Amino acid sequence: MRGADYVIKRTAFAVVTIFVAVTINFALFRLAPGSAVANLSRVPHATPELRHALEKQFGLDKSKGAQYVLYLKQLVHGNLGVSFANEQPVRSNLRTAIGNTVPMVLLGTIFAIVVGTLTGVVAAWRRGTPLETISVTTALGFYSMPTHWLGLMLVILFAGTLPTGGMTNEFLLNPSWWTHVKDVLSHMTLPALTLGLVLYGEYTLIVRSAMLETLGEDYILTARAKGLRPWTIVRRHALRNALLPIATLVALSLGYIVAGAILIETVFSWPGIGRAVYDAVLQRDYPMLQGAFLVLTVSVVFFNLLADLIYFKLDPRITQ
Amino acid sequence: MSVLLEVEDLHVWFDLQDGGELHAVQGVGLRLEAGERLGLVGESGCGKTTTALAIMGLLPPSASVAGRVLLDGEDVLAGGEATMRPHRWTDVAIVFQGAMNALNPVQTIGSQIVEALELHGRARGGAAQARTGELLESVGIPRERAQRFPHELSGGMRQRAAIAMALSCNPKVLIADEPTTALDVMVQAQILDLLDALCRDFGLALVLVTHDLPVVAQLCDLGAVMYAGEIVERGTVDTLYHAPRHPYTRLLFAATPDLDDSTGPIVSIPGSPPRLDRPLEGCPFRLRCDSAFSACAARPVLRTLEDGHAAACHLNDAVRTAAPA
Amino acid sequence: MSVILHEPGAVLEPEAAPSRGGVVWRAIRRRPSAAIGLTVLLLIVLAAVLAPWLAPYGLHDQVGAVFAAPSWSHPLGLDDGGIDMVTLLMWGAQISLVVGFAATLVSMAIGGTVGVLAGYFGGKVDVILMRITDYFLVIPDVPLMIVVAAIWGPSLFHIVIVIGILLWTSTARVLRAQVKSVRERVYVKRARALGAGHARIVLRHVLPQVAPLLIANTVLTVAVAIFDETALSFLGLGDPSRISLGKVIENAFQRAAISAGAWWAIVPPGALVALIILSCSLLGGALEDALNPRLRVAHLSARTFRLRPLVGRGDSAV
Repeated sequence: MRGADYVIKRTAFAVVTIFVAVTINFALFRLAPGSAVANLSRVPHATPELRHALEKQFGLDKSKGAQYVLYLKQLVHGNLGVSFANEQPVRSNLRTAIGNTVPMVLLGTIFAIVVGTLTGVVAAWRRGTPLETISVTTALGFYSMPTHWLGLMLVILFAGTLPTGGMTNEFLLNPSWWTHVKDVLSHMTLPALTLGLVLYGEYTLIVRSAMLETLGEDYILTARAKGLRPWTIVRRHALRNALLPIATLVALSLGYIVAGAILIETVFSWPGIGRAVYDAVLQRDYPMLQGAFLVLTVSVVFFNLLADLIYFKLDPRITQ
Repeated sequence: MSVLLEVEDLHVWFDLQDGGELHAVQGVGLRLEAGERLGLVGESGCGKTTTALAIMGLLPPSASVAGRVLLDGEDVLAGGEATMRPHRWTDVAIVFQGAMNALNPVQTIGSQIVEALELHGRARGGAAQARTGELLESVGIPRERAQRFPHELSGGMRQRAAIAMALSCNPKVLIADEPTTALDVMVQAQILDLLDALCRDFGLALVLVTHDLPVVAQLCDLGAVMYAGEIVERGTVDTLYHAPRHPYTRLLFAATPDLDDSTGPIVSIPGSPPRLDRPLEGCPFRLRCDSAFSACAARPVLRTLEDGHAAACHLNDAVRTAAPA
Repeated sequence: MSVILHEPGAVLEPEAAPSRGGVVWRAIRRRPSAAIGLTVLLLIVLAAVLAPWLAPYGLHDQVGAVFAAPSWSHPLGLDDGGIDMVTLLMWGAQISLVVGFAATLVSMAIGGTVGVLAGYFGGKVDVILMRITDYFLVIPDVPLMIVVAAIWGPSLFHIVIVIGILLWTSTARVLRAQVKSVRERVYVKRARALGAGHARIVLRHVLPQVAPLLIANTVLTVAVAIFDETALSFLGLGDPSRISLGKVIENAFQRAAISAGAWWAIVPPGALVALIILSCSLLGGALEDALNPRLRVAHLSARTFRLRPLVGRGDSAV
């Protein structure tokens, strides 16, 4: 297989990075001064049994090194601990949370990619015209808005027309599947739109920059010399080449979107992983916090690896 | 012999960033019949590449063009891009510098040749693949290489592929812009031989743009020397070499070191070409010329001296005002 | 020096040896976006610095009802504590800008050192430093900031350090690339041949050349730092004793400003943050553009070359 060693190298790097992230996760929560996991008196309404169980679970009676090994063992078994807040396994809490975040983030991202690519291509194509200036300034404007503030603005604007909090309407009793879906979608609109608007700004700039770079390449001149129509050249030669940097940058940004969702989910009370992190901080729910942080870090590593692989797939020049 | 390509009074201006314009090509005229090979020579920045690109209308939006470009008698420049595009590749084709990224790196070279064939209706599908194979073989590339990407070929092979692609739609005129620059000497010779053979076999007219005089000597019968955006002398290569009538031509050819004669002094032309973003006064070569005199304060005009030989220099003026005392 | 026209891909401007300060200033003058960004930024900074004297009311003075609507005496209304919004904005901008600049300073110090060391020494040092940078890049910044702020406790100092620790990676990368190219330049090699010590070379030859790019990167980092501070404040992790613009938004959010219809408590502070970030982006982006000239002639664009009438002067020998 072409470039098998490239794929192996990048995957190995990803694995090592996850390992480093896991270690940092451990260090942050166990070793940092004032780390409350070590200070069990901070656990809310802790009965002696709970304390004892926690002690065993975290191995706090053992040395740091042994704790680390215990932590790794638990991780490998998928044991992320038990949440302080609702006393459920962290793993199932996270699963529900992620399940709620992904559709919303997906919707917003698709919107951003589609609109961003369109405006980016148009801006590059119509370089030097007022249309370009407007596109770029608008994109830059949205890109500069603090995510949560944009969400709040949308709330102010659409307060009467669209739901602005939560994922479902709690007053709907036993809704049919279709009603439920419509309900969730209507609640998803504003948070997804917020994400979409902030992202579209960034993507417009990325696409425009990549297209401008590509349109200055020599093979575009060759394509023109061959007698191809301008739009054919854009489609077949420019876009295909610009896809390289665009795809990698988009894949890279996906890793961070999940993190940025924290702000949006807080504004819209969306029960996703971002909100889970926020609630965990408020409630000092350290197992949840640690688990969520780990999941987010792994997702970034994963998307980085995806970006590497996409680049590899699209660019025939990488063979080493 | 019919005149395939005729360029009349070609001017090209480029918009500059801070306002103002660069007058890159100032009244260039060319004439090419079937089978003729013209070498367009000059130093970097003299406007030869711009002229070549203008013939095909491959100029950027910052350019303005005036003049006439006649292909088989039809002025294709008159309608701008719209009239230029239909003639590209089928009437005039171009091969760019070897150093350039002239081939799309994410497509196989075969598919890029097929694209040209299909676009101009020469062949489709399987027939196009077959024809591509033939074209590659004719430039000395094994036909299996059609599946390869440009970066998998050496510089010389890429140039051959580019030449094959340029000839795929049977143009009448081939423009080669510094085709051997950035290739090593052995490969240069091969490419030049290839061009020689192809032009002969297909009866192509060739415009060879280069700053490399020995290349012109080897490949071309006619030559045109450009300086500061205009043609300062035109004639057969022989004439230009042995009987130049413009000091720039003389100095240019003398500046090329001769491997056989290592005893002569190395001639170089001091100074640099004039700025083209302002109107020129007098002869543009005046400040670097070793024979400038009072008449050079007026701009010389390219005048025919004898059949097929023209030069733009006051030294050739029939009437001189100075008279020996 | 003559204006030389090169083959396709030309840079259509006269070349001049750039003086360092000159490069930055010229870039700003040439691009209206940069000039606008700089002006707006300076105005805001000025207003923030002069807040103690310019603010119309006291920062802690309750001058009216909670969430009072805008009026002539209070153009932007009052917040959840009855405090004048304009006053809040000015003081808030001060804190936000201080945090932004301080965090950027931290990140510049770390990133600059790492970048210069990696670029200058290359080899093993480079590989190790870049590996470390790669690991830092992977950690999602907002969650990490949240976690560290939650554990460490909210204070202005902690916030600055936390933000700074996350932002240095881009600076390191950019500087490393630049230092690597400068290192190969003739005068650096000459200095090395003459036996100049590393420190001297870096300080006298390398740093001045990378300074303009460093400035561009700094400006862009400030934008991100201010955003991060706003985010942290919004999540309740900001310094409770200081009012930054982010805190103003958070207060309004927590006190249900939206339900009260008090949009003036939310929209202006966020708009001000957006304006600061926008100006920084315009300025930094334009600088980066100017210093990394990838000014290529577009071979293809919607517009085409233009035609002009025949001149008639030229060739009489055809």
